[in-house]
Amino acid sequence: MLVLSRRVGESVVIGDDVTITILEVRGDVVRVGIDAPRSVAVNRAELLKELGATNQESASPSEQTVASLAKALRERPQRD
Amino acid sequence: MIATDVQTVRSVMPDDVPVIEFVHPMPGFDELVRFALVQLDDDGVLCALRSVEDPDVRFLVVPPHLFFPDYAPVLDDETVAELGIESADDVVLLVVLNATESLADTTANLLAPIVVNTAGRRAAQVILADTELPIRAPLIA
Repeated sequence: MLVLSRRVGESVVIGDDVTITILEVRGDVVRVGIDAPRSVAVNRAELLKELGATNQESASPSEQTVASLAKALRERPQRD
Repeated sequence: MIATDVQTVRSVMPDDVPVIEFVHPMPGFDELVRFALVQLDDDGVLCALRSVEDPDVRFLVVPPHLFFPDYAPVLDDETVAELGIESADDVVLLVVLNATESLADTTANLLAPIVVNTAGRRAAQVILADTELPIRAPLIA
């Protein structure tokens, strides 16, 4: 991993069109600004991790789970 | 209301089991991009997205408006471009269920719905800009 020290207001440029700027440092919170083309997805790492974990957990329910869920949905009170 | 939705799901997803291609894989399943959308009940409520590449992998999905009437996610321009969406009529929105045998404990992922462009049969699990949306919303309030 490349490690750089930057001051507030300074930036790092990644590739041709991604710029990350340090906006503010307060205690252990660092605010960064990310300037990237719309085609570059920018997400918080923990959000992607949580989504991956949730997808893994959601995947491939047992036939029994599917059957009982389908039954419960069929029998649930319908909205008007 | 429900009858109309049934028609919608049926009319865009007929019996020939269309294969949908994800423009990028779902987080947690980096190898899988081709899924078949299969209806699991007569009402067109409960559906499965089954991986073509790994038939052991399937996700339960439902159209969210039947359960979350106020849920109206806005798709950003990048998603629209990536999926080649030309008309809102071509878009089917599905949410992934984290299912348990009890309906009361089953949750739906509202933060990252699956957006399908039925015209091009392309899809993506889109992380919405509204990060306050729950990743585990109880399906039945």
